[in-house]
Amino acid sequence: MTRVDDRELEVSPALGAVTDLIQEQVQPPTAAELNEGLRALFHRIEETEGQGQRDLRDRGGSRWSWRRAFVVACGATIVAAAVAVLVVKTVGTSSLSTRASELAYSVEGGSVVAGGYLRQVGRGGVKLSFNEGSQLALMPGARGRLLSVNAGGARMAVEQGTASFRITPSAHHLWLVDVGPFLVTVKGTVFTVSWDAGSERFELRLRRGRVAVSGPISGGDLELRAGQRVVVNLPRAETLITEDAGEDGATDSPTANDVGDAATPAEGPVAVAKTPQKTRQETRQEKSVVPSALPAASTPALSAGRVRRRGAAAGAGPTSASSSGRPTSAADSARRWDQAMAGGDWDRILDDVERDGVTATLAGASDEELLALANAARYRRRMDLAREALSAERRRFPSSRRALDATYLLGRVEEATTGGRARAVRWYDDYLSRAPSGTYASEALGRKMTLMNELNGASRARPLAEEYLRRFPGGSYAGSAQALMRAP
Amino acid sequence: MPLPRSDIPLTLAVTASHRHVSDADVGRGLIAGQSWAIAETWHRFAPMVLTTAERALGSRAEAQDVAQEVFCRLYRKARTLREPESLRSFVFSFAIRVLKSELRSRKTRGWLSFHRPEALLDVGSDTLDVESRDLLRRFYARLDRLSPEDRLVFALRHLESMTVEEIGAALELSTSTVKRRLAHGTARISRMLESEVGLAGRLPTRGGGTT
Repeated sequence: MTRVDDRELEVSPALGAVTDLIQEQVQPPTAAELNEGLRALFHRIEETEGQGQRDLRDRGGSRWSWRRAFVVACGATIVAAAVAVLVVKTVGTSSLSTRASELAYSVEGGSVVAGGYLRQVGRGGVKLSFNEGSQLALMPGARGRLLSVNAGGARMAVEQGTASFRITPSAHHLWLVDVGPFLVTVKGTVFTVSWDAGSERFELRLRRGRVAVSGPISGGDLELRAGQRVVVNLPRAETLITEDAGEDGATDSPTANDVGDAATPAEGPVAVAKTPQKTRQETRQEKSVVPSALPAASTPALSAGRVRRRGAAAGAGPTSASSSGRPTSAADSARRWDQAMAGGDWDRILDDVERDGVTATLAGASDEELLALANAARYRRRMDLAREALSAERRRFPSSRRALDATYLLGRVEEATTGGRARAVRWYDDYLSRAPSGTYASEALGRKMTLMNELNGASRARPLAEEYLRRFPGGSYAGSAQALMRAP
Repeated sequence: MPLPRSDIPLTLAVTASHRHVSDADVGRGLIAGQSWAIAETWHRFAPMVLTTAERALGSRAEAQDVAQEVFCRLYRKARTLREPESLRSFVFSFAIRVLKSELRSRKTRGWLSFHRPEALLDVGSDTLDVESRDLLRRFYARLDRLSPEDRLVFALRHLESMTVEEIGAALELSTSTVKRRLAHGTARISRMLESEVGLAGRLPTRGGGTT
């Protein structure tokens, strides 16, 4: 395209300075602002569509004769009376609530009280059934709140204990579940989630569909596929991901049986891929083969062997496909790794690295691939490999945004390494100095505050808590910061 | 130390796989009315729309309203997208149309009421000192005196650094019209700024007087 010469346009120094100032001041939206904006957009689209349908009905109504309108009014009265009778009959064992025109729910075994809290009446837990087929059940003793129900979907919080969900897939409803400091985003799936505030342990067992988990440990959204279980132990900074039988044994309705399985504790900083055929006892034996203190560098062979067994057991799928040959190009490789990350198939990435060699991969991978590799290694607890990938990211792409992310993630890697907390603090310091308002600034400051408390006591951590509350009053670590401020 | 439950910022599910699909695939998803495509379009292009609108209007809050309107219209009119690979241009053309409409209605509101639009300025209000903020407020007050078309041309050239032909394509104007409007708007704003007492000395000037 021919560029038109517009150099003759005179710009005064004052105008130039003002426009420079504006360009400098207007910053792109943060991730939180974008997410909030998207939520508002979905609501607006829903409302617009609903309004459009109502307008359509209204326009049709204007052509009706008054006699027809009278007949319809009588009919509506009869229907309303019938509905009222039904509601009255329902009250006692359950209640019916319509918060929005598209989404309504009934409660069994309890009621919704002020603040959206779900109060249990008996010992069987509370069950909510939505008119579009979704169900959720708070297990006995669990504590939860219904935060919002509207045309765009529903949001619920599990504050303590276990809850099961069966969400009907829908393009129009978005379901969000706050679980302690984690947020689970779901479109249509069956899963069980639990949170123990005392031990700060989060667990999610996904039996069908997909969910995204965000929170203080995952370093970004962690996407899970059917059959995976993630256990996060916050005090130990451990994330354990295992394979389950997926839909096998999944029932249509959430039951208390899920609770027993979900209560399996994390046993150490190892990730174990469990074959569908194996029992839980076998899984524990397999875990015991990998001592938690084993240096990460010594685990690849064991991990790879496990992956091969899993591929053989499954017979097909991405894992077996990955060992069929080398990628034809870097673009293919990147695409395959993207798919592997999206599907939670981290072993596939690690298999590729093992085949091509660590040194060659670190020297030739793109910045995106290096981050994918680092994440795969982190999720599989191969911290040495994760550290190398992140260091290569910083070394080879020093001015990229991912190099900044790598700085923060190096802190997470060091935290997960024995004796690495002081090093982690230094990485967080480095990140905060380079990107004081970066994507992970809140997390970096929160983690630094937590580590300072553990390493040097509350008195040293308190200034960080104060800073955190000032900068991120609604952040993930605000509760910890407030607790630190109150500590003697 | 136990971590009490905290209010995590809302995160919507845009799966990692969708974040790596091409614009054309997102466009096709949008045409098909798939919700992931709406979310993905938002995540890809909302920053562009928001920053352009904020610079043009001088208000972050109004920019957010504009962005909502842009993407809502986009959703409704997605079926008119004939070339999915041109999704970015498609979004930008919607943004320009909505911005123009917003500037026109703002002008109308200014005539019909005592409301002064510049009072809504909130660009960089958290970080700027009082004097700079006041300066920007006066700058946007001057911009409000331009016609919506002149203002848009001015903003796209000086705040978005677009070329004359790019502006012409975006606003469906000939290059000569763009240049005429640009010269008019630039001269007026420059004169107004220079006439402000002490203004030139208040800001660091950038080198060169031409673009």
